[in-house]
Amino acid sequence: MQRNRPPSPQAINVLRALAADPARWRYGYDLATEVHLKSGSLYPILVRLADRGLLETSWEPGVGSRPPRHLYRLTGDGRDFVAALTAARADRTVPAMHNRWSEA
Amino acid sequence: MLGGLFFVPMVGLLGILIAWYRRDPRRFLDGPTEDAPLRLMRWAIGLLAPQRAEWGQAMLGELGCIEDRIRRTRFALGCASAALVLPPWGRAATGVWAMILLAAGAIGLYAGMAVHYGLGGGGGWIAVSILTVFVLGVLLGASALVRRPGVALPGLLGGLFIAVIFLTVSGFTFLDQILPNTVGWHRLVQVIAVPFLVGAVGTWWSRDPIIGKRIVRLAAITASLGLFAYTTIAVAVIGGGGPPDQDGGFTLRGTISDRIGNNMVLLGFTILVFATIGWGGAAAAGRLLRCTPAGTGPVTSNPVPPQEA
Repeated sequence: MQRNRPPSPQAINVLRALAADPARWRYGYDLATEVHLKSGSLYPILVRLADRGLLETSWEPGVGSRPPRHLYRLTGDGRDFVAALTAARADRTVPAMHNRWSEA
Repeated sequence: MLGGLFFVPMVGLLGILIAWYRRDPRRFLDGPTEDAPLRLMRWAIGLLAPQRAEWGQAMLGELGCIEDRIRRTRFALGCASAALVLPPWGRAATGVWAMILLAAGAIGLYAGMAVHYGLGGGGGWIAVSILTVFVLGVLLGASALVRRPGVALPGLLGGLFIAVIFLTVSGFTFLDQILPNTVGWHRLVQVIAVPFLVGAVGTWWSRDPIIGKRIVRLAAITASLGLFAYTTIAVAVIGGGGPPDQDGGFTLRGTISDRIGNNMVLLGFTILVFATIGWGGAAAAGRLLRCTPAGTGPVTSNPVPPQEA
């Protein structure tokens, strides 16, 4: 049975990095560098996102002696998920900001 | 002082082996990119479950595009740790983790006794270091075996079978393990008949003597680690109690040191003997298989789907 736990902050960072340009295919190492994650954290996140259907993958053929590279980008569900995350965050942020202003 | 006499030659031997390995031209056969990070990565992705094999290739693909050696090493270490924990675990990863836990528990208990009974000053830490290096080497060998198709499950079950029969024959109580009261036929069953049987059955089941020999090597490692853990627990529970050892020390520390030292020797001895006798069983069964017309043995052409090496 697949568990649908809320994504971790690291997974949210990965989702946001992918959502910045959703049509673009991304390499794993570039993503890891961008979101400052080690490969040991990034790949389990990518695997979970792909298992949940939020991420689609593809292969770039190898060049010369270099092996093929795996590419990632958000699916339609992934984009919806990031949009929902952003909306939920905005909903939480507005009352928090309002409270801070009220206290001032 | 006495510990140094053992430690220095051991480190020297290790240095000679590393130097010999590094100058071996065969290591460059796969090209200059066949470096330590790549080998580590290949080892690690071989532990992935078959349905995760694509992710292993993805990690390899990224590693192929990283030039800097330090970054390659970091990336490979991260991927190796991910491959070890990424669910669902394949049989290989399960087997490796089972043996790591068994070995870590036994070594931890051994070290705990060295601290508790104050054995560190008498070469106790040297013994713990030697034990750790030896067990790490054994685990490395086991991790190579469990990745082979059709080896992990029968090897682990075979090891369990050898260990259970060993304990049944000598007696399950902790005292029986510390001061075994065995007769000739007990030893015959424990170290000859059962490992031979496991080797023969492994070959007959897989219908391949090479796989049978791998199965029995893994079984020998599993059984020996299990017996080592059990006998170490026995010493921890019994301590210096029970009848005095015939060749034991005259003090509590001497007795404990002698008993855990015996366990360490038993570990090396059982691995060697189980694997050698089992190898003989696998070879004998392989010879019989060659003489048997096809179709009379069990149908297990490919018991486990092949994994990416």
